[in-house]
Amino acid sequence: MRYFIKNGTIIDPAQRVATIGDVLVEDGKVTRIFNLTEIASEQGIVGEDVEIINARGCMVAPGFTDLHTHLREPGNEHKETIATGTLAAAHGGFTTVCAMPDTHPTQDQASVVRQIRQNARRTSYVRVDMIGAITLDREGKLLTEMIELVEAGCIAFSDAGRPLEDPAVMRNALAYASILGVPVMTHCEERRLNAGWAMHEGAAGIRLGLPGYPAAAEEAYIARDIGLAEMTGAHLHICHVSTAGGVALIRQAKQRGVHVTAEVTPHHLTLTDRWVLGSLAEDADTHATAGGYASNAHDSAGKRVRLDPTLLAPYDPNTRVNPPLRGEEDVAALIEGLRGGVIDAIASDHSPHAITDKAVEYGDAACGISSLETALGLVLTLVHRGEMDLVDLIARLTEGSAQILGRAPSSLRPGARADIVIFDPDAPWKVDTSTFISRGKNNPLHGQTLRGQVMLTMAGGSIVFRREDFGTNADHPPQVSRLDGILTNES
Amino acid sequence: MATQTRVSHRHVLDLDIFSQNEIEEMLDTADSMKEILSREIKQVPTLRGRTVVNMFYEDSTRTRISFELAARALSANVVNFTARGSSVEKGESLIDTVRTLQALGADIIVIRHKQSGAPYLVAQHFAGAVLNAGDGWHAHPTQALLDLFTIREQLGHIEGCKVVIVGDILHSRVARSNIWGLTKMRARVTLCAPPTLIGPTRFWKANWPELDIIYDLDAALEGADVVMALRLQKERQQSGLLPSLREYNRYFALTAERLAELGDDVLVMHPGPMNEGVEIMPEVAVAPQSVIETQVTNGVAMRMALLYRLAS
Amino acid sequence: MTNEKQILSAEEIRRSLTRIAHEIAERNEGVQNVILVGIRRRGVPLARRIAAALADFEGQQVPIGQLDITLYRDDLHMRGPAPLVRKTEIQADITQRVVVLVDDVLYTGRTVRAALDALADLGRPMCIQLAVLVDRGHRELPIRADFVGKNVPTSREERVEVRLSEVDDEPDQVTIVRSE
Repeated sequence: MRYFIKNGTIIDPAQRVATIGDVLVEDGKVTRIFNLTEIASEQGIVGEDVEIINARGCMVAPGFTDLHTHLREPGNEHKETIATGTLAAAHGGFTTVCAMPDTHPTQDQASVVRQIRQNARRTSYVRVDMIGAITLDREGKLLTEMIELVEAGCIAFSDAGRPLEDPAVMRNALAYASILGVPVMTHCEERRLNAGWAMHEGAAGIRLGLPGYPAAAEEAYIARDIGLAEMTGAHLHICHVSTAGGVALIRQAKQRGVHVTAEVTPHHLTLTDRWVLGSLAEDADTHATAGGYASNAHDSAGKRVRLDPTLLAPYDPNTRVNPPLRGEEDVAALIEGLRGGVIDAIASDHSPHAITDKAVEYGDAACGISSLETALGLVLTLVHRGEMDLVDLIARLTEGSAQILGRAPSSLRPGARADIVIFDPDAPWKVDTSTFISRGKNNPLHGQTLRGQVMLTMAGGSIVFRREDFGTNADHPPQVSRLDGILTNES
Repeated sequence: MATQTRVSHRHVLDLDIFSQNEIEEMLDTADSMKEILSREIKQVPTLRGRTVVNMFYEDSTRTRISFELAARALSANVVNFTARGSSVEKGESLIDTVRTLQALGADIIVIRHKQSGAPYLVAQHFAGAVLNAGDGWHAHPTQALLDLFTIREQLGHIEGCKVVIVGDILHSRVARSNIWGLTKMRARVTLCAPPTLIGPTRFWKANWPELDIIYDLDAALEGADVVMALRLQKERQQSGLLPSLREYNRYFALTAERLAELGDDVLVMHPGPMNEGVEIMPEVAVAPQSVIETQVTNGVAMRMALLYRLAS
Repeated sequence: MTNEKQILSAEEIRRSLTRIAHEIAERNEGVQNVILVGIRRRGVPLARRIAAALADFEGQQVPIGQLDITLYRDDLHMRGPAPLVRKTEIQADITQRVVVLVDDVLYTGRTVRAALDALADLGRPMCIQLAVLVDRGHRELPIRADFVGKNVPTSREERVEVRLSEVDDEPDQVTIVRSE
């Protein structure tokens, strides 16, 4: 099958540019890009067997790579399966997901990894990469057979959701990883500092009387792991950094030349601990210190971009996530870190749960957000608020994650695998978790209006998601850029 | 119902959403209820035919009895439900339990729970009214109201009073609800605790900028009109938050010497149950300045007032 | 558009209460055993005025009480927010006394029914009598007044409004208001 994606704005994150142009896809690969001056010459290309996709008004970008996805299969298929999780990914514009090893059985030996990969080849909609466990049963004691796991296809190591408490084990894991050229992904949580925690330790937690998870519990761990990475020379990857102090530590380590990378989730970039207050956040506004986003509730076009925590009831378990939603200073530091490249990538930490895992008392609720389907819309609020450039943002969903995995820069260049996402950066839509493809309906954004929606996702040259009959009307002429005011790098 | 996210004034889950006027109205109503309790026949027919369920997921003899007496004084049917020996032990979720109670005809649920926020979950799945009888570290609005009632009754006013709350503030629902109530009624509130039992003070100030937080009890007590001591659970020492109960007693307890400094007009309060010899000395608990027993009596009147409010 | 018509002037109210006071003394052969209990709110000042009149010509101060019947109402669940509950205060024990309940308007009889229940919880009077300033008819219960200032035929669409200087900050008068 051949596709001709016309009239879109092509984002090339590797080169940080966006240009109007058309993309020809043949046999699963991008074969040609037509820029504005060449568009006139495309007539001869289009034959009968080419489907034209009219991407007018939309962005055409390399498909997103998610470093941190909990697919739940095998073992917890009631929460998610490879099929539902990867289709949810396609709806979110992701064409590669890295599967965390907190499955049952866990991905701690080559045979399990091979088996899951085989299942994934059969049922997945997008590319699934395997993350191996660092230790057997993710117990933090005995190293897995890391060399063999890499041979079996693992592209990174992680104990998924569990901190590696014993620093000697971490040191050894990093030493092995250093010869394998793969990152060790660390979950930084000092559990002696947050015993019994339910949310971030801050003003909202004090008001709600919920036991706190202080920022220092993450920061202390990041500092330790950076020290070990520096010692071993291995590639350390910090999962879901959530604190201002964590960003500062990573920044300093990078300046020293430590091989450390970091990811941040869409929710930690945009939501604060005030979301746990839900409707009670209303009167808390009068107490809130400066730095809130209320003053920035509308973009330059006067469109509403404010996310509204008061749509939730107080103590909504869908706001419970590990690490917890942090304070406003943390969110500001995370955005700054993402903008300046201290944080390399945006990762979903997609954590689907069954309804019964969440419909309980706040402190008993399972942690996590089913986030693949709202990821793009949520992070685009940074662009709409003028806090981040669109092309830079897309680079953190593509280029940034590819580099962490040691892959070629994501780009829509001839010869590249046709992993493509087409999205409208402006389309408003109301989040309705009941329509999620994911089995996990646990997402605190239910009822919010986001702006920016994926219209079509192509994985390896096949359309794996298409919103209604998007792009079938091929008669529109190419249009001029509608990115004025959004793109600052275009020059 | 599940889409209702605003906290309705139909419930009393905490004092945070109530205005000074609403709180004053509740206190006035309790005043009227107290008259009923002084009668020979301590019962009025107001809630006849209504069913009040006391859902106690955490042991509490005094609060449960207080609620039960209040409900009976208003002629309600009272059902006591405790987690122990119930379907909860068979793994029934809180939401399912609430749905069951609703199907059985409950009109008002009074809930005590060890998890902060549990009453909000109940309120979202219950068509009737919910009264929070204490949730985790979060709130204990009926206790705070009866404390306000007692202060007003004893001192004639609340506005301008200096109230010192001393003890395990961090883990105290009584402290949090009293801070809401007292600040709304324009009292001056001073908190006093060892640093481990209050946590970072900026988080408290972010919610209630008018709070004074002082670590030295003698300095905190200066000019106090009311001193409220909080129960110190002995587990706090075991979990390392305190070096010793002896030291705590010496620096943070209400002792006869401290009481003598305060004079005759101060009010000594305690939400109970007391750990005598830890946060309060036995002679202070029974001193003339102590209104600890009055608090207990007023608790029934206050809870009647709230049940009455919720039934309409 | 509303239409308001006076049915009792301040002077007529004064005369009615004086007459009621005389009738109370006559019926009970003096006031030695009488206690006047006003139903909140406007029954309370009316009870005080009757007591003052009794003191005038009987030379004896009759004990007065005020009764709040909110907690005895049968329509709590049908109303909006809970009405405020006021204090019930009665100076003397009512047991074995003649209690004269005083209210401004007698209409359906439900308020008096609630007051009777409330009194029963406070003691066991020898008998209970009822004095009202206006009886407008339309009873829903088998209740009648012993002492009536004025019988006024009304329709259910009309409202009877009693103004008393003590509680209303307005001169005394009783009017019928008809909404059109």
